[in-house]
Amino acid sequence: MPRITIDQHVMDIPADTTVLTAARQAGIDIPTLCHYDGFPAQNSCMVCVVKVNGATRLRPACSLPVSDGMVIESESDEVRAARRTALELLLSDHAGDCVAPCRNNCPANMDVPLMMRQIIDDDLPGAIATVKADIPLPAVLGYICPAPCEGGCRRKAGDGPVAVCLLKRFVAEQDLAAADPFLPDCAPATGGRIAIVGTGPTGLSAAYYLQLRGYACMLYDANDQPGGAMRYGIDRDLLPLHVLDGEIDIIRQLGASFFMNWRLGRDGSVHDLRREHEAVLLAIGAIDEQDGELNLPTTRRGVTVDGRTFQTHWPDVFAAGGAVRRTRLAVRSVAEGKAAAKCIDRYLAGHDPADVNPTVGVAMGRLEEQELVEFMLRASPDRRLTPAGGLQRGYNSDEARTEAARCLQCSCGGGCDCRIRQLATEYGCDLKRYRGTRRPYARVQREGGVVFEPGKCISCGLCVTIARQLGEPTGVTFVGRGFDIHLAAPDGASIAQGLGHAAQTCVLACPTSALQFDPSSQPVQITTSIPGAEPMP
Amino acid sequence: MRSGEKSMIDQPDPRAFVDQLVARCGRERDQVVPLLNAVQDQYRHLPAEALARISQVTDIHPSDLLGVATFYDRFRHRPAGAHAVRICHGTACHVRGSERLEEALRRDLRIPDGEDTDPDARFTVARVACVGCCSLAPVVQVDDLTLGHLDTRTVTAAVMRAEAEQQTLGWSDDSADIGKENGQCQVRIPLDSCCLVSGGGTLYRAVLDHLRRRRMPVGVRRVGCSGLCRHGPSMQVVEASGRTLSYAGIDTADVDSLLDRHFATGVLGRGRFWFGRALDWMIAGASEQTEHAHDPACREPDHARLEATQVRIATEHYGRLDPLDLPGYRSCDGFAAWRQVVEVANPAATIETIIASGLRGRGGGGYPTGRKWDTARRQDAGRKFAICNGDEGDPGAFMDRTLMESFPFRIIEGLAIAAHSIGARDGVFYIRQEYPLALRRIRRAIKLCQEAGIIGTGAMGGRVDLRLSVREGAGAFICGEETAMIASIEGRRGNPSLRPPYPVERGLWGAPTLVNNVETLANVPWIVRHGPAAFARFGTERSRGTKVFALAGKVRRGGLIEVPMGTTIHQVVYDIGGGIVDGRRFKAVQIGGPSGGCLPASLAHTPIDYEALTAAGAIMGSGGLVVLDDRDCIVDLARYFLEFTQNQSCGKCSFCRIGARRMHDMLMRICQGEGGHQDLDDLLALAGQVASGSLCGLGASAPNPVLTTMRYFRDEFLKHLEGRCPAGRCVDLIHYRVTDRCTGCTLCAQACPVEAIAMTPYQRHRIDDAVCTRCDACRQVCRDQAINVE
Repeated sequence: MPRITIDQHVMDIPADTTVLTAARQAGIDIPTLCHYDGFPAQNSCMVCVVKVNGATRLRPACSLPVSDGMVIESESDEVRAARRTALELLLSDHAGDCVAPCRNNCPANMDVPLMMRQIIDDDLPGAIATVKADIPLPAVLGYICPAPCEGGCRRKAGDGPVAVCLLKRFVAEQDLAAADPFLPDCAPATGGRIAIVGTGPTGLSAAYYLQLRGYACMLYDANDQPGGAMRYGIDRDLLPLHVLDGEIDIIRQLGASFFMNWRLGRDGSVHDLRREHEAVLLAIGAIDEQDGELNLPTTRRGVTVDGRTFQTHWPDVFAAGGAVRRTRLAVRSVAEGKAAAKCIDRYLAGHDPADVNPTVGVAMGRLEEQELVEFMLRASPDRRLTPAGGLQRGYNSDEARTEAARCLQCSCGGGCDCRIRQLATEYGCDLKRYRGTRRPYARVQREGGVVFEPGKCISCGLCVTIARQLGEPTGVTFVGRGFDIHLAAPDGASIAQGLGHAAQTCVLACPTSALQFDPSSQPVQITTSIPGAEPMP
Repeated sequence: MRSGEKSMIDQPDPRAFVDQLVARCGRERDQVVPLLNAVQDQYRHLPAEALARISQVTDIHPSDLLGVATFYDRFRHRPAGAHAVRICHGTACHVRGSERLEEALRRDLRIPDGEDTDPDARFTVARVACVGCCSLAPVVQVDDLTLGHLDTRTVTAAVMRAEAEQQTLGWSDDSADIGKENGQCQVRIPLDSCCLVSGGGTLYRAVLDHLRRRRMPVGVRRVGCSGLCRHGPSMQVVEASGRTLSYAGIDTADVDSLLDRHFATGVLGRGRFWFGRALDWMIAGASEQTEHAHDPACREPDHARLEATQVRIATEHYGRLDPLDLPGYRSCDGFAAWRQVVEVANPAATIETIIASGLRGRGGGGYPTGRKWDTARRQDAGRKFAICNGDEGDPGAFMDRTLMESFPFRIIEGLAIAAHSIGARDGVFYIRQEYPLALRRIRRAIKLCQEAGIIGTGAMGGRVDLRLSVREGAGAFICGEETAMIASIEGRRGNPSLRPPYPVERGLWGAPTLVNNVETLANVPWIVRHGPAAFARFGTERSRGTKVFALAGKVRRGGLIEVPMGTTIHQVVYDIGGGIVDGRRFKAVQIGGPSGGCLPASLAHTPIDYEALTAAGAIMGSGGLVVLDDRDCIVDLARYFLEFTQNQSCGKCSFCRIGARRMHDMLMRICQGEGGHQDLDDLLALAGQVASGSLCGLGASAPNPVLTTMRYFRDEFLKHLEGRCPAGRCVDLIHYRVTDRCTGCTLCAQACPVEAIAMTPYQRHRIDDAVCTRCDACRQVCRDQAINVE
């Protein structure tokens, strides 16, 4: 039995085993995109490369058989750099939006397309949960947000963006008006106490997400009512007070305590707060007047913090929102409050407070005119709807459903689950590293319960092999050669027709979301005819 | 013009045509390329009905058929114009302006952007990677006719003329010597592709005509390449005394007097002779003209040195053998090695001979040939294959084409010895479709050998069973890679696969398969006959024997040469090539094609030897050697090779498919003056990763041209970042200006195809920079050298 060494693990492996299989037996995960158990190796993605016996040429682990005395490096810097390049190259030719542009543009990163689907399906409890996962003050923002999301809407270049902001307000006001407004499930109490100075959008948002994670939040504010600039800094006609009070009340219901008429410096110092709390968040808005009181390094812009962790000079004191950088954008403050909450949580749990592996995502950027026409075919052709009762009243249920149906659903159906995105995140890929002309967006084929998005195909060849192996009479193949190869079925058939009964296995095998189950069709029973053919973890 | 004459109306019904074809070729999966080639020949594209019919009546899976039909360059899926015009974009053609040529042709034929056929559907213009006529660059093929030495002003007229002309070869492959019985007097005319392009066929007919008319007792022999590829057509005259003289660059009009000079008798004849002497001076007198003689006594000292540098093993008896004259080949010890191998019947000893000779693969890799044979022989298998790799696709290389055209019997003998030694009863020639003459001659030579009982079932007096067959490529460089070639023969897309297993262990149809290059096999008979020591006497410590090179580019005497290993690049360029044309400066030599590198003139003393070239960053490659002068832009050349490799990538693995494209993107930016220093760093980093991460040799060697050029010519890259192209090639970085030498002759204004120069007689002309397309036409016509490129 050949004896091999993988990253210092020595093991005896039967001949004819591949390096990939051997590594997995040793608990070493070699990443791969084009390998699917039960089918022949493709060796096309080259993400599984390893260094063998110190040779210059790297070899694909998925198809390299073991041989006696082999010494394999799988986690060295050189190997990881090559894998990262392979992923970056593949993603440089991967036309799609991991995340819809509206969501990308939203500082709070709200999942707009999901909310739209839930509105269409009349699932308002689902919709408010989606909204509140990222924005704890959606009704308030529904009145005052300048809606950067709508600036990103693909439909903007066509017949006007979808009214995201109004729809979000519709969802939130419906919820506030309900007998039992949405209250998220909070994690069990951790015992951690956190002082939040300031009850503007930053402080309230941080309090919401920290309560959610089981922390007890004490909010301190110099005014006699919470809300900061949202209460005292804007025109009263713009934002009805009952809306603000309603959403603050939810945060109170989650367990946050409010200490009003408490001024930093006069009623206590940052050090006093540090003594009584595990962490302090300064969410005090623009800092001009209070400079001297803080005893923290500041610049003209605001409190100096580590941009990745929101930590100030003292590691347990955080600052976010207007206190760090002046902003007129409440949604940005909300987003920072949320982000700071996550950093505080990680800090108190003893982890690196920074988000070390931010999820990466590809974005197509601006569409050509013809591409937009293709996109517009996906949704209702109606023009943007103005609420019949006026903007201040907002949409009624019918109007909301009609307007939501205009959403083009630009985000990727595969979302975060697709393997290439997981690996790109794990390997910290820089998606802008290889500039080049983007391949044109091609029409999505939707047929027989399967969606095929040509732009996202990375030409791994799995579906070609699977259809062949499962004996499909039509099958699919690569057409052309070199950079321009693409998937096609013979005799003018669609990809779904070519894949036939093999389609389901192919969807499970597809490492990107080029092949997906059609969410709009009935769920199908998933069967694979190859024993042991399980999707990759 | 064979295919051009067929109008669509006369075409048979595709379904019926396919049915007949399948009845002839068979319905097996591996027939897919031959079937598609036949359909393409017939219709000049692949009609959808024909494809549908093939998947109905054969065992070929419809998805395989579509995959294969779109893999190869040759197959077209839309109807084509009446004539196929293929513009060669090989290295030699590129450095001699094939891009400008294409631009001019497309403009003159009024082909719209994004289209490939003119509005009248007369010509379909396509690019071809390399047709292997590098010494006649730039080259364009019109149907079966190849046109050489073109420029932007002559190309369209030449193509039009070609449409009007009927090309007849004037001889058949069967004819051997004519008038052989007529004593010792003989005329030998090389008729390989290069010579045919230069008018060798016309010369051949003219000589025959004249000798018949004058009833001269002189034999005429059609021979293979004589090495004067750039100066065809050529011929060799053997006088009764045995004196032999070579003439190159002959005008057919001079044939009569030339023959009279040597063979005429009587008073009239003597007169013609003296007239001929005068003419001779005109033809061959100037030093650029290659007067080239075999009898050392008649040679100029310069030429004597030229020949002394060369050693003829793979090209033994060059210029004297009729390619298809089997008795002629046998009279020069042909098949003696084969007979010896069969009679001794000791394959291990034969392999020992090859190992001892030190012969290494001539296709590029340089793997020891004998060791490969030995591994193949040790495989325990019922069936084995030996394949001759004739898919020479490197742009700038034509050694294998010329060897197959000139010495088909020698290659057959080499393959027979190889097959016999490893225990294979099947030998396959895989030859690219761009080499029609090589295909014809190899096929014909195999048939002649079978008829003579040299190969076939029960050949050599019943001692040998050896079947040889020929497979035709369809235009895919990657099929020169052995695993891709095997996939192609089996009827799959030509995608390489991971080695191991190596083909010698598991190859064609899963059987042990030996793949050897044409030139490697051409050395084998000589080694067997003369013994390993004689071969090993030539060359260096680790690179034994000789190497055949296709010398092209900016040298004065380009052509096929064979030199001992260890000869320096300087010797090749100056002693054999005669130095640089037009008195320009020797800048670099591109060796090894798209897998090789560019070595600067300062490294000209590098010996030709596998290890020395690899150490310098190039590779031996198959033997393309393109010489560059100071007007060739190195950055543009690197971009050119990346364009080639990314076009020719099979598209399977990420590093090659996308990595090569991204490298090309960066080089494009640099050539357009839009690159930054970051691009240079990124390019270098990506090149390293593409080299180490690609699945097969194509991708792994694709960065070589970039790596060597950046190593030796970094300055030139930096100048491009500043927006300057010192060689004046990169169109986005150069401007044409008229200097005060201009006399206002209006020639440039007349030549300008885009009216960027106003017609202003007797005044200094002006070029409108915004309109100018940098086609170079004005500079070429200017008699006063008044046009500068800045």
